[in-house]
Amino acid sequence: MESSIKNKISVAVSLFTAVILVTFLSCSTDETQTVTNFTNLTMADEFDLPGTPDPTIWGYDIGTGQNGWGNNELQYYTDRSENIIVEDGLLKFTVRQESYEGSGYTSARILTKGKFEQQHGRFEARIKLPWGQGLWPAFWMLGDDNDGTEVWPQIGEIDIMENRGQEPTIVGGAVHGPGYSGGTAISKPYELENDRFDTDFHVFGIEWGEDYINYYVDDVLYNRITPDDVPGEWVYNDSFYIIMNVAVGGSYVGSPNASTVFPQEMLVDYVRVYSAE
Amino acid sequence: MKNTSLIQIKRTFVLGMVLVLALGCERDLTDDAIPATFAKVGDIFTDDFVSMGSDFYFPFGGSKLDAFSVDTEEGYESSASYRIDVPNSDDPAGNYAGAILRVDGAGRDLSGYDALTFWAKASRGVSIDAVGFGQDFLDNKFQVNASNLSVGTNWSKFTIPIPDASKLTEERGLFWYAAGTQATGGSGYVIWLDEIKFENLGNIAHPRPAILNGSNVIEETFSGATIALTGLTQTLNLASGVNQEVTISPNYFAFTSSNTSVATVSELGIVDIVGGGEAVITATLDGMDAEGSLNITSLGDFNPAPVPTVEASSVISIFSDAYTNEPVDYYNGYWAPFQTTQGQNDIQVNGDNIIKYSELNFVGIQFAVDVPTIDVSQMTHFHIDIQVQGDIDPGDFLQVKLQDIGADNAFGGTDDSDDELTLTNTTLVSNSWVSIDVPISDFPGLTSRSNLAQVVFISDATITDVYVDNIYFYEISAEPTDAAPTPTVPAANVISIFSDAYANVAGTNLNPDWGQATAVTEEAIEGNNALKYSGLDYQGILLGSAQDVSSMTHLHIDYFTANSTALNAFLISSGPIEKAKALAVPSASGWTSLEIPLADFNPVDLADIIQLKFDGNGDIYIDNIYFHN
Repeated sequence: MESSIKNKISVAVSLFTAVILVTFLSCSTDETQTVTNFTNLTMADEFDLPGTPDPTIWGYDIGTGQNGWGNNELQYYTDRSENIIVEDGLLKFTVRQESYEGSGYTSARILTKGKFEQQHGRFEARIKLPWGQGLWPAFWMLGDDNDGTEVWPQIGEIDIMENRGQEPTIVGGAVHGPGYSGGTAISKPYELENDRFDTDFHVFGIEWGEDYINYYVDDVLYNRITPDDVPGEWVYNDSFYIIMNVAVGGSYVGSPNASTVFPQEMLVDYVRVYSAE
Repeated sequence: MKNTSLIQIKRTFVLGMVLVLALGCERDLTDDAIPATFAKVGDIFTDDFVSMGSDFYFPFGGSKLDAFSVDTEEGYESSASYRIDVPNSDDPAGNYAGAILRVDGAGRDLSGYDALTFWAKASRGVSIDAVGFGQDFLDNKFQVNASNLSVGTNWSKFTIPIPDASKLTEERGLFWYAAGTQATGGSGYVIWLDEIKFENLGNIAHPRPAILNGSNVIEETFSGATIALTGLTQTLNLASGVNQEVTISPNYFAFTSSNTSVATVSELGIVDIVGGGEAVITATLDGMDAEGSLNITSLGDFNPAPVPTVEASSVISIFSDAYTNEPVDYYNGYWAPFQTTQGQNDIQVNGDNIIKYSELNFVGIQFAVDVPTIDVSQMTHFHIDIQVQGDIDPGDFLQVKLQDIGADNAFGGTDDSDDELTLTNTTLVSNSWVSIDVPISDFPGLTSRSNLAQVVFISDATITDVYVDNIYFYEISAEPTDAAPTPTVPAANVISIFSDAYANVAGTNLNPDWGQATAVTEEAIEGNNALKYSGLDYQGILLGSAQDVSSMTHLHIDYFTANSTALNAFLISSGPIEKAKALAVPSASGWTSLEIPLADFNPVDLADIIQLKFDGNGDIYIDNIYFHN
């Protein structure tokens, strides 16, 4: 019985893939665009080796940054195993309510800056989100600062996924660039019907080409941002690096309250990056 | 724009695939599916009642019975709704609206749903006292209460999560509510409900069941004690991000005792202490550990306070299992800011409720604000049983204060009065019950007793842990209501001085003039003669002839007094040689029958008894004075 269902599912998935292909073909036909298929795996961390995250891929941001990483965030980022560890085949971010170095919460923020950067491609991660008022998990990217000659938002920011812990069914994807950053970023939410992002894993990804960024949740393409959609310069034709973190509090989510349960975990099954053939 | 439409097209395709997949699954599953025994209908009211049968509306007793109607003009995206007209608080037909909706007929299988949902609005912003399901006026086995639902004046959707849907395979209690006007200053209002139904939302998560409101409660108790687990809740995170807590019935939980030789726990969360030792009571809900625990230290067998023997008709009781107690505001007012005392009537051992105070400095039992004051003006005595835990050092004390608030029936003013009894280590006994019986006259400062409002305990932390039981006032009537017990000793074994049951020594003078002030009368009580000494100072009985009672062993006397504080009985032989025997007074509950060994009267010559004598004070009734062996 079980195997027969599995068979059906796999058949369905194949059909679904076919649908995507058909759709994309029709897209290229209709709009005379060049559609790139990103099938060449350039980086993958499956988090199969227990311990600290692979140091050849991931570095850390430590502390509170300036002004709570620019957002009045409340957490102190550490590289302690209490906050970031690979185990059970997963990368685990653990957000704790504890007094640490003057902050009331600890968490972690890891990034591939200087270790893995890529211009264009398909970037995706399979993640189970934390939950509760005041939690702000994110899977996002920043552009190379060209040896410090450029600053945010000129360097460009692509938010593949961010979420407010008090909105367990909603994630958002955004771009921040010159003239459209912070509160005026170009973004779009995506809401799950009859499901939520903190009870199981979901795949969050973008397909990013020279003049478009497509946003996916699982197999649903829910937004496409092109130079026509941004009121400023298109700053996304450069090398970007990946950042994953769980912030606590700050202007985007508001502070945790008595109903927020700690500790909280963000679990990452994999991060994969593809380039065009 | 084209991008957008492209995306929409793709989403449609995905939906199509999902449908195909779902159909495929369904076909396969049906082959093995067990036929559903009960209807899986989720809808309750959508513009009208859905599959509820004909007799399904059961209002709460005391509520306004006809507060509900179907509104045929208002509705959520429709023109019909379930309308509740919450009455004003002074509505003679009922001061709140509340009802259950119980499906008329077989229950429904709700196991495929995860929430009760409905749309609601009100004529003004209100907080609805309680809404839920699982209440069927039968066993209310799987009751769920959501409290204080904030309803505004626009339609909005509410979600009451199901704690564990697998339990609800045959549920008749589909919806219930209670709405009053405490939060609106007594003003009535209207609530409209629509699309009341069970749904499978799929976006309710992170169950956090709890017992004892999630606290780890420590309880010191005894064998025979019974403790009901309360604060049973389930909290689930809704799609809105709200952590919705619901109070739920014990049947949703599986309870466990870590040591069943100390404590057992029933399916209904009733903990019975069965032995000494330690045990921890925990629970799970749908396999998930509930927050909170009851950590029991049982001290083993409990030595209860003596069971009161005063007739109930003569008693006004504040706290006793032997009597019907007067209602109280509380057994511990937790008076801020200086009171440290914890505890109240929370010990129950073998059906006997006991007050336990710990960290005592002062604490009060009050009956004045939400309940009437108590009129004890007809009572003559006060009783209380106290057991002090731990050592009682010299200087330690426990005051028992009685507070009356006078005719104005209010604290303050000029007519309040109080007085207290101070108990020390000369009276109190460590770890043992001490029964205090005192006449009200021992509280001389309590000038009024018609509006008694408080019993207050004060120790200034010299004594910190006490058990208290059987707090009551009682009346000892000035005269006995019953005849003294009829003697049963065979006449052959008796030399009788004064009794209707025997031939008395002839020629006896019951009132010889020895210069006493005592007034002597004979009173018929239920047709039985008794001697009455009024205003006793001393009083003799001159026997008609000297009696040789040396073959006898005891002197029997029945006596009754409500007001004497000293009473002695004397035997006198020629010489005269006399010896006193002190009698306990007052006699708390009717006649006291005393058998005094004659040896106690040594050196009186038992072969030559010529007189008896009593001295002391008060009014005394005496009967059945006889020697016997």
